[in-house]
Amino acid sequence: MAASEPTALERFINGILPENPVFRQLLGMCPVLAVTNGMKPAMTMAAATASVLICANIIISLIRGFLKPHLRILVFTLTIATFVTITDRFLAAYVYTMSKQLGPYVPLIIVNCLIISRCEICASKQRVSVAIADAVGMSIGYALPLACIATVRELLGSGTWFGCPVLAESWWPRWGIMVLPPGGFLVLGILLATSEWYTHRRAARAGM
Amino acid sequence: MTMNQQLKQGNYITQAWLVILLALLYGSALAGVHVGLSDRIEHNKRNEIYSQIPNLVPDAVQEKTQEKTVQGLDGKTTIVYQACDAKGQCIGWVLRGSGQGFADRIELLVGIDPTLSSITGMYVLDQKETPGLGNYITDPERFQNQFATKKIDPPLVVVKSDPDPQHEILAITGATISSESVSDTVNKTIANLKQPILDLNR
Amino acid sequence: METIINLIQIALLAALINNFVLHYFVGICPFLGVSRRVDMAVGMGCAVTFVISLAAFLSWTFTYYLLRPEAPLPAWIWKLVGGSADAKIDLSVLSYIMYIFVIASSVQFVEMYLRKFFPSLYKSFGVFLPLITTNCAILFACLEIMKQLQNPNELWGLHEALTLAVAGGIGFTIAITLMAGLREELDLCDVPKPFQGPGIALVIAGIMAMAFMGFTGMDQGVKNALSSLLH
Repeated sequence: MAASEPTALERFINGILPENPVFRQLLGMCPVLAVTNGMKPAMTMAAATASVLICANIIISLIRGFLKPHLRILVFTLTIATFVTITDRFLAAYVYTMSKQLGPYVPLIIVNCLIISRCEICASKQRVSVAIADAVGMSIGYALPLACIATVRELLGSGTWFGCPVLAESWWPRWGIMVLPPGGFLVLGILLATSEWYTHRRAARAGM
Repeated sequence: MTMNQQLKQGNYITQAWLVILLALLYGSALAGVHVGLSDRIEHNKRNEIYSQIPNLVPDAVQEKTQEKTVQGLDGKTTIVYQACDAKGQCIGWVLRGSGQGFADRIELLVGIDPTLSSITGMYVLDQKETPGLGNYITDPERFQNQFATKKIDPPLVVVKSDPDPQHEILAITGATISSESVSDTVNKTIANLKQPILDLNR
Repeated sequence: METIINLIQIALLAALINNFVLHYFVGICPFLGVSRRVDMAVGMGCAVTFVISLAAFLSWTFTYYLLRPEAPLPAWIWKLVGGSADAKIDLSVLSYIMYIFVIASSVQFVEMYLRKFFPSLYKSFGVFLPLITTNCAILFACLEIMKQLQNPNELWGLHEALTLAVAGGIGFTIAITLMAGLREELDLCDVPKPFQGPGIALVIAGIMAMAFMGFTGMDQGVKNALSSLLH
């Protein structure tokens, strides 16, 4: 890239595919595996992560002029932890069943490397509008793989999608393994390989 | 020397004012969120149990339920729920119990009649049993409903076929351990709290 | 005696049955990133186990005395400043911030201590220490302890919290070392091109997770065996 600092649009598009947090950077893998046994928890998780990421990016971008280099990480952590607590309380107050099902994985957003890396790479260096575009792009880029994995696991494992029955039990035996932990590893592994294969094929075609 | 120290102290303030300011700001934000939402969260937590009371004790009215604190035989104090009908008459009790299941802890509620002689309902609050096998303990048709007709004495026993309608629970196929942990937890909870509740009535 | 059996059960649950990596999916980043060589994996595992125990000790102390709904310290301070005695003080809203700072400072402390007193050890696993701050496994252990302390019926003591933490760390070490051993062998294999790297590692992890599911129910068996031995 020629420009030293990408524009808002570039940041937005970057987050969705070229620098996709899950497929390309392998960031924030814990929730990708842990909450994707159903579409509902996966999307709640994606929304929670998105809200924390957007809020943290805005705040960090607003105060970026006052940041001291050696106190930077401290400020990031403080900001993220606060917004995670607020999100956690909101989930507990308004979608209690989901909050109970997600359990410790909501507070674990604090140590999701995705958020701190976006604060470091983008928000602490660029304007608020760019930071917001970056956060939204990254959130979509994070929600996409979550949705992919959750769809596969929920359809194959319990024959439902968002809790609505799709595959009848009479002709689709439930693959119990899919909603169990091993299913998460297997589906993500195969999905990563697929995305790798697709990139290689495109690169090969472009080369021809 | 002192000059130097003063300089250094001034330096700390210039270094850390942002962190201190942010900490104050975030602190008040958190306090606001806590004050605004804690009642709602408490209500949600209570509602999880209260909404089940009419299913566990037939004819019970959610709003008339009274909480009683009792000391179980194991020495721990527990809250039990006294279920009442629309007139405020006590028509049963709801007890909360937990025990180790096949995979993780199982938390459940048991409804019993006012004389503490028979079970009127059972509901699993929290479990992480194997999907497709053990998690059928949350299924009313397959498992939970059979508790509603059982007697308390002697304790429940899990069998694999032809259950006796008064004392035996039919295990879920392929999940005998989960079924046994549920019935054991029910037995233990009742045994632990039966005498204290009878004392309460006296 | 009951206590010891209970502790053994907690340890088995944390280390094998509900393995942090393979059942709860925490600590996936180092699990995939630092599992190429066995010696590095062991180093990482030891560092995590060490930090996790320290963080668990600190977070149990803070939670028990300060942050849980019926904690003694805030009530005492409240009385000291003249507040009414029956006021309910709940500082649990601060717990996440507290934990992350406890973890960050214990990592810093361990790093300084090692550099000063065990330079050779520092050289071998010092590089992993900054990574550990963002290791979910440690925050996860703190959160599990918090969950137990918020339930007044089954209040955990310090011994239980430490058992969970140490066993969890050992479980992490077991998982990451096994993974590293498998990946060393994998270098000699002909892996399909798209699967090379994280893809095949995740598939292996999936198979390992299936194998670890075989431990389910073992805690009950061990508990029953030990109890019958005693009686």
